[in-house]
Amino acid sequence: MGANPCSVAAVLAIDGLAKRFGTATALQDVTFVVRPGELFGFVGGNGAGKTTTMRIVLGVLEPDAGSVSWQGSPVDAAMRRRIGYLPEERGLYPKMRVTEQLVYLGRLHGVRRAAAIAAADRWTDRLGLAARRGDEVQKLSLGNQQRVQLCAALVHDPDLLVLDEPFSGLDPTAVDTMSDVLREQAATGTPVIFSSHQLELVERLCDRVGIISAGRMVAVGSVEELRSAGGDRYDVVGPPPGWADRLPGVTVLDTTGDRTRVELATGADDQDLLAAALAAGPVRAFGPYRPPLTELYRDAVADRVPGGATE
Amino acid sequence: MIGPAATIALVARREITTQVRSRTFLVGLALMLVVFGGYGAVFAFVGAQTSESSLVLQGPAGELRQDLQAAGDRQGFVLRLTEAGDRATGESMVRSGEADAMLTGAPGSYQLVGRDDVGGALRALVTEVVEQRAVSDALTAAGADPAQITERSAVGVRTLEPQDAERGQRVVIALAVTLLLFFSVTAYGAAVSQGVVEEKSSRVVELLLATVAPGHLLAGKVLGLGLVGLLQLVVLGGIGTAVALATGVLAVPALLLGMLPTVIAWYLVGFFLFATLYAAAGALVSRQEELQSVTAPIAVPLLLPFLLAVAILPTDPRNPVATVLSFVPFFSQTLMPARTALGVTAWWEPLVALLIALAALAGMVALAARVYRNSILRTGARVSWREALRVTPGRS
Repeated sequence: MGANPCSVAAVLAIDGLAKRFGTATALQDVTFVVRPGELFGFVGGNGAGKTTTMRIVLGVLEPDAGSVSWQGSPVDAAMRRRIGYLPEERGLYPKMRVTEQLVYLGRLHGVRRAAAIAAADRWTDRLGLAARRGDEVQKLSLGNQQRVQLCAALVHDPDLLVLDEPFSGLDPTAVDTMSDVLREQAATGTPVIFSSHQLELVERLCDRVGIISAGRMVAVGSVEELRSAGGDRYDVVGPPPGWADRLPGVTVLDTTGDRTRVELATGADDQDLLAAALAAGPVRAFGPYRPPLTELYRDAVADRVPGGATE
Repeated sequence: MIGPAATIALVARREITTQVRSRTFLVGLALMLVVFGGYGAVFAFVGAQTSESSLVLQGPAGELRQDLQAAGDRQGFVLRLTEAGDRATGESMVRSGEADAMLTGAPGSYQLVGRDDVGGALRALVTEVVEQRAVSDALTAAGADPAQITERSAVGVRTLEPQDAERGQRVVIALAVTLLLFFSVTAYGAAVSQGVVEEKSSRVVELLLATVAPGHLLAGKVLGLGLVGLLQLVVLGGIGTAVALATGVLAVPALLLGMLPTVIAWYLVGFFLFATLYAAAGALVSRQEELQSVTAPIAVPLLLPFLLAVAILPTDPRNPVATVLSFVPFFSQTLMPARTALGVTAWWEPLVALLIALAALAGMVALAARVYRNSILRTGARVSWREALRVTPGRS
């Protein structure tokens, strides 16, 4: 397995994936693990490699190098049937009825007919589609089609959920329903890996986050771990701008009015920082700053998190 | 767990239920019946038309009346003869279409007057009668007996093999079989490419390929649609046979029923051969609108043997080009059963053609599966055949 420090009790291990399309490198040494019952958020810019990685996990694409393993053995066709997949490019048979479609997809995943019908009923009920079961998919609104798509990922009671942008195009109520369903699934021990551009949502929902940029994993861990991977950050309000510019072990990140945000190098003392601030002028507020995922993401993509992959 | 056979069966069953339930299936069936009925009606109409002509005789030409009638009877040519008192009356009869032509004038100055043309058969008949009359007049003038000459110039006809009394019926059956096979393969081949594009354009294919191998998906689709086509073929064939026997168009049930296994075998081979091509073509494009441009070339090998079978074989069942092509894959599925229906094949010929076609089918399946795998997930611009045929390592 990869040299990832988080490989404790991993069920899904993605190890050293590489993929090229023609001359373009889509993935390079992508390595991370997902643990049982974990909600794993997969974030990155457009074209960073999220979809390619997910397609490789599903076996829809072949990697040029690297492997995907489930509970220690390589993912094979039988295991792939146990994955629930929500592709980025949504797709269902437009002229098939909702229940019919879900039963068909369930059966392709190896579920018996009666069980597939029961699961289709259960999930359409749960996602508020009970009244639309007999409708052709093309007659549903886009939001409802998206719900059917989620039902399709869940109908065979999967052991792993791989969802590509499950929240895109959903209204706020549907976002809440989707979040609840994902939490429930994770609570039953099913790991969930999903990609999203809505970083607040990812921060709120996920146990761990993986950040991918230009085909490389630049950071993997809980949001707390990502924070601590950088130096400690402090907000100091009061002293005139420029006061911290020359302090040893201190990097000024941002100055807004009389508020200065700094990052301390490892080993630097926050009390020394406070003393220097007091020496520069009256201090009205002093405290640690906890950057949100959005900021951690921006830094990681700019390759500033020390724990991130470097060239 | 679910094995490949069960997966293929599931995919095939979906294709069958979707097709049979769709309006296109019933409409297609009705349309084929109309085409068949129409074809039969046109055939009967044209057949009835050519055998009857009417001719107006004017003036001295009237003396040829008996000779013309006799010559017409001899050649199985239904000739209706009338006489007109003067040229103007005759001409107006021709102009109005009451008569096909008018024969006027006297020996040496005979003239055949038509509206804008005189039919070749009628012209030949009149020419022959006038010629004969001139010859027999000359012979009589020279003192010879024309009747004796006629007697001496009689030629008897004998065939080495017994003449086939059922030839006419065989031609009808051959045409029907050819038509049925052509339409079934065309319709369901097109359905395969449409189905492939539907899955590609609706993007459902990615969801499917996450759990089904591309080869199995392709096999299930082709199998399902092939069986629906077979169902339609059997229904149409059954209706056609029943109608033909009931109305007395065909009087030999044995001949007709004997063709059934041949038709089914050739339908299956022909369909799968073309279906693989259609599936590969469908996988190259992402939208239904682009489909026409990639499937159009397939119509050529489909149409060519059909035209050969319809245009050449009925009058020339032993045509050498058709005979050779009836062993060539992509041609054999139409030409061989047509030749079989005409009764000009030895027992081993369909078997050899079938074996060659099956070998070609095996090759086509491998090629089509490769094209399908290489192109099915590539959306956007059309994939070129060269890219699609490239060997890529990957799961089957």
